[in-house]
Amino acid sequence: MQEGITPASKPGLKPKALPQSGAKGFNLHVNDKWYALAFLGPSLLILGVFVFYPMLRTLYLSLFLTDNVGRPTVFIGLQNYVNLLTSSAYQASLQATAVYVIGVVAFTLILGLLLAQMAVRKLAGIQWFRTIFSATMGVSVSVAAIFWLFIFSPSVGLFDQIGNLLHLPLVQWLTTPGPAMIAVIISTVWMNLGFTFLILFGALQMVPQPLYEAAAIEGASPSYQFFHVTIPMISPTLFFTSTVTLIGAFKSFGLIDLMTAGGPNNATNLMVYQVYRDAFLNGNYGLASAESVILAVIIALFTLLQFKFLEKRVTY
Amino acid sequence: MTTHSDSHKRLWILGGVLLALIAVFAGWSILSKPTAQAQGTKRTKVVFWNEMTGPAQAQLNTFVKEFNKSQTKYEVVPEFEGTYNEAVQKIINTHGTDASPAVFQSMDISTSQIYHTGYTTPVQKFIDEDHYDVSKIAPGARAFYANKGTQLSMPFNTSQPVLYYNATLLKKYKITPPPVNPSYSDITRVATQLTERSHKKVQGMTVEIYGWLFEQFMANSGVSLANQEDGHAGTPTAVNFTNAATVNTMKWIQDNLKKGVFVNYGAGANAQNNETASFLSGRLGMFMQSSASIGQLTTGNPDKLGITYYPHPDGQKSNGVAIGGASLWISNDKTSNVQRGAWEFIKYLMTAKSQAEWQVATGYLALNTDSQKEAVLQNLYKKLPATKVPGEQLRAATPNQTNSGIFLQGLIQERNLTQTAMEQIYNGSDINKSLATAEKSMNTYIQGNNRANGY
Repeated sequence: MQEGITPASKPGLKPKALPQSGAKGFNLHVNDKWYALAFLGPSLLILGVFVFYPMLRTLYLSLFLTDNVGRPTVFIGLQNYVNLLTSSAYQASLQATAVYVIGVVAFTLILGLLLAQMAVRKLAGIQWFRTIFSATMGVSVSVAAIFWLFIFSPSVGLFDQIGNLLHLPLVQWLTTPGPAMIAVIISTVWMNLGFTFLILFGALQMVPQPLYEAAAIEGASPSYQFFHVTIPMISPTLFFTSTVTLIGAFKSFGLIDLMTAGGPNNATNLMVYQVYRDAFLNGNYGLASAESVILAVIIALFTLLQFKFLEKRVTY
Repeated sequence: MTTHSDSHKRLWILGGVLLALIAVFAGWSILSKPTAQAQGTKRTKVVFWNEMTGPAQAQLNTFVKEFNKSQTKYEVVPEFEGTYNEAVQKIINTHGTDASPAVFQSMDISTSQIYHTGYTTPVQKFIDEDHYDVSKIAPGARAFYANKGTQLSMPFNTSQPVLYYNATLLKKYKITPPPVNPSYSDITRVATQLTERSHKKVQGMTVEIYGWLFEQFMANSGVSLANQEDGHAGTPTAVNFTNAATVNTMKWIQDNLKKGVFVNYGAGANAQNNETASFLSGRLGMFMQSSASIGQLTTGNPDKLGITYYPHPDGQKSNGVAIGGASLWISNDKTSNVQRGAWEFIKYLMTAKSQAEWQVATGYLALNTDSQKEAVLQNLYKKLPATKVPGEQLRAATPNQTNSGIFLQGLIQERNLTQTAMEQIYNGSDINKSLATAEKSMNTYIQGNNRANGY
């Protein structure tokens, strides 16, 4: 894919927009600077007002105690960060987030790939299954939460009814810490599946058939074909979905809020939820800002790591 | 070449559509302004923020309509603002802008916070100006929203925590119902008998993991949650969760959970929905909740509903519980004319007639003492005698420093922390340790908050 990048081959560019000296990179004509400003200015302005300023403001607020109307009043340096990182409740929240993110990303990718692999076969009526598998894309968070709340309900829930029939002990899904985490992971994975399935399904369909035919002639088993033909061929898509799912999992809010509200015993109190609680329920903007900064740093770190290590294994 | 000119054409069409849209919007906004102003000159607009849903919202909107019809000076515009928690932040963040309300409803535990923002005019000012007879309004409710003799806001939707039981189930299993003002051991007895005699088909009792109930246990035991007499004597600097009364109460619940005569429905809206569903389907014998649930528990319930006062510790008299609900505040960022309109509306809501209708429609208590004589309320009592109980509980208690709410900022945090402690205790953790952890976190929070606000 290297050949497409040289500027000369880009269509529609006027000759004077070409770099004057290739080695120095940007060496723009005076007129071009104005053009650049005119074209980039509006978006930079919007980004500045709605992204960069809030980011800096968050950083600033995180160094303060805030009063009851949210004004920063007492400068306390890094005390908010120190308090957070030494608090056992916040450590528990970090831990819960780790469990949740790993669980969601792993199961979403595995199940999504499994469904896509099944749906790619050309069978009678497969269209129906493809539609059903991608159906959760059209489900809103609130509907999903109500749906799963019903399934997990201890008195009238589906799981409770099945358990009764089989004489299994009653599991209080949403009121005991361990099962509650499992319950929100199941619900989130279910929500994510439609999108992941669709993307991976598209990728699987793009794998050239002759590769499999050649592999079959060589005598490669289906599982060998899967790991040595399919996976490498769809690795860019896998990388994309894993990144998107990871970031999405870190930011999960709706299902948590509606299903457990961070409970029981803070077992599902993920980092984003703690930010919401501290800012919008407790009115503790300084602390919430510090939590946001920590969350942003962690997400950035993971995304970087992913690009560094996972992308090396990606074959484009 | 054809593709190029095609895409050019498309661009032109797109641009044309966009321009047309902009023109339409601009024209609409210019044209619509004068009409809005023309209406505004006749009546003073009084924007009223509330957080009511369901039947309460419907009734509130009826009151607004009736009020608007009853006079020609003001026009109250009700706006729904989501949950209590969300509304507090919106009220604070919009103050001083065009978007802020003239009169707003804010929940019980935000009282100290709203007061300390300095964004409101105490209703005491209007009470004094009008020589309004405030003694007609239930003293227990007034005390909650007053500070050092000044009425800050007007109590509005007011509830009492009560204990509900399924009277039909108790009869079926030949169990003597709990007395109207039960002690902890009265409740243990009924819960145990229910569980045993139904062979565990019926769950005896549940106490929702809910900070409000935690506060009420302390109020009814007569102990302060925060120092400075629950904040009524000054700004609290610390809380006390580890006192004997609270430990005793938590032990009562934990022991019964271990024995299996109490069950744990968890915390939050789900717990409320689930315990209500179980209660209505006859699988749960008793639970504690706001008196505002009466409407939900009487419509479509084939069984007879029993109600008692909030349980109190053995060997002592009940001190009485604090109210719950919300009150009405007047913003001070509006002109005196608008504030006057807000006060007129509040007075309208507090009449004996309005309050009686309010209780019948919602289950919130009629706060005007004259409401008890209103026909609508009398009819309700005749039809469902149990609905009398919460009001009696409210009138039975004499307001004092431990049962008039906690005048402390950060009560949402306090509820989160006490709920976490309750969750741990319900799951078998050491009571003293869990309460001490919550206490320590809350004290850290209070210290930071006092420092940030310069108290």
